[in-house]
Amino acid sequence: MKKSKSEIIFNVCNILFMIFLCFVTIYPFLNQLAISFNDGMDSTMGGITIFPRKFTLENYKGVLTNPSLKGALTISVLRVVIATVLSLLVTYAAAYGLTRKGLPFRRGLTLLLMIPSYISAGVIPIYLMLRTYHLINSFWVYILPGLFLFYNMIIIRSFLQSIPDSLEESAKLDGANDIQIMFKIAMPLSLPVLATVALWVSVQNWNDWTTTLMYVTDKNLYPLQYLMMRLIKESETAQEMALQITMNKGLDEVSQPTSQSITAATLMITTIPIILVYPFLQKYFVTGVTLGAVKE
Amino acid sequence: MEKYAKRIRQKTAFAEVKRFRYAYIMILPAVVLTLMFSYFPLAGIIIAFKNFNFETVLSDPNIIKAIINSEWVGLGNFIQVFRQPQMLDAIKNTLIYGFTNLVIGFPFPIILALLFNELNNLKFKKVVQTVSYMPHFLSWISVIGLCYSFLAAEGPINDLLVKLFGTDFQYSDPLMDSKYFLPIIFTTNIWKNVGWSSVVFLASIAGIDQTLYEAADVDGCGKFRRVINITIPCISETIIIVFIMSAGQLVNTNFEQVYGFQNVFTQEKTEVINTLVYRQGIENGEYGLATAFGLAQGIANIALVLGANALSKRLSGSSIW
Repeated sequence: MKKSKSEIIFNVCNILFMIFLCFVTIYPFLNQLAISFNDGMDSTMGGITIFPRKFTLENYKGVLTNPSLKGALTISVLRVVIATVLSLLVTYAAAYGLTRKGLPFRRGLTLLLMIPSYISAGVIPIYLMLRTYHLINSFWVYILPGLFLFYNMIIIRSFLQSIPDSLEESAKLDGANDIQIMFKIAMPLSLPVLATVALWVSVQNWNDWTTTLMYVTDKNLYPLQYLMMRLIKESETAQEMALQITMNKGLDEVSQPTSQSITAATLMITTIPIILVYPFLQKYFVTGVTLGAVKE
Repeated sequence: MEKYAKRIRQKTAFAEVKRFRYAYIMILPAVVLTLMFSYFPLAGIIIAFKNFNFETVLSDPNIIKAIINSEWVGLGNFIQVFRQPQMLDAIKNTLIYGFTNLVIGFPFPIILALLFNELNNLKFKKVVQTVSYMPHFLSWISVIGLCYSFLAAEGPINDLLVKLFGTDFQYSDPLMDSKYFLPIIFTTNIWKNVGWSSVVFLASIAGIDQTLYEAADVDGCGKFRRVINITIPCISETIIIVFIMSAGQLVNTNFEQVYGFQNVFTQEKTEVINTLVYRQGIENGEYGLATAFGLAQGIANIALVLGANALSKRLSGSSIW
């Protein structure tokens, strides 16, 4: 097919635009990465592009040996692991139960589970409720309220509807009950959708800091994202931490990390796990979105 | 006879439920969690009509009892909401931010999806898409951190401006000036979400019947006319549905983004409903008042979704229900 001149011009402009888009998206990261590896005092002069000017590992060493940051990292990891495992179990079991053929009250139960995705009580009633449950300043406030998500259940459900049920029927004839069949037969077949939902849930949990802002004041329960929010929003917090690190290390004034370099290193520690796993998992994320869009 | 039939029906219904007992056991945790964390707090909305604040809670540590015993004030909290200039400003800001994101921001992902669709090199297309989706998966606070560093006096933007205008250029950080708050909210929103929001439109474009394009080729239709006459009409339903969903978010500003970007210099002039509910309710303990404010927002939200849905049903026949 012959291409007209205007089409060629358009294609070239389109490709240039895409390159620009990539540049605009990636450059802030590379810049921040460079700052995180650059000597703190040197960075204050500006002019850092995507390469560190005075390479150092002090920022990372300082951050990773800081007790409050280490604690926050532990909380974040624990939270992601526990929430993901429990959430998968609860959501998968509900989806599996609801797809049993001929289940009485299926519509009513689905509706009961669906309504909250449209109507929420609001921040304050939820806060008061968590107080009555004694979940304020408890680790479980990170886990329990978001354990069951209707949207994730829909995604699992549409996957389950696509598995043939002849396998399950033969297991039933052998005398296995629904719970045994779910663990032994259905779950191994559902690995792709389980991976998708596990990723959604873990990214959401890793990224969340508003739960802490609203419901947690105990410093020992701060996750990494919340600590980073404090570093970014409150320059005193960042300066205090930079000072702490300098004192602990016994560094001289010339090579001490600044609040800026500490924040940069923390930011990289919180975002790099996502950036590293993301390209491999993108496929699953996209399937999840399009599946949900079709089903709703 | 009648009685007998009824008993049989009851018996079979019971047997049915019993047959599915394991399925019910599996659904049970989800139901319990939903009741505990989504339905039960709905009852707490009544404090919007009561005089209920941190003092009430202090006087009676049993919150349920405290709520029941507290004094009714009718619509008093709502009246107070609309009397406070601070709250009126928050409503105004919420609407301004919402409209800007919706009206100006809405076409961006559609245009991006159309441009993605015109890329002929599949490998290049995949790389660009992967890169453009990435910011969506970061937390808002990471994006805000990047933005602070990027716009700082020692950041790349100032470096660039100095290169362009010389060293005596006076730079002031736009994040410290409430004048620039709206453009920053808008730009970072696009930066973070434009790629990801284009996914649903791309999926819709992929579903278009290819024979339509072949027919257009036979008729000698150019590339631009194909987009205007085939692609856009074919994805119009998706566009409308996404628009309805976004219209529902009009009064629901992104708390993480706005709270994250606020600082001592900008906070006073940039409060939105969400951030004010947080400050009045959780920070100041004005529970009743904050709930009333949040409830008013929630009702406006539902009204907007229903309104947008009815409008689109009338105009084009597509609706989300």
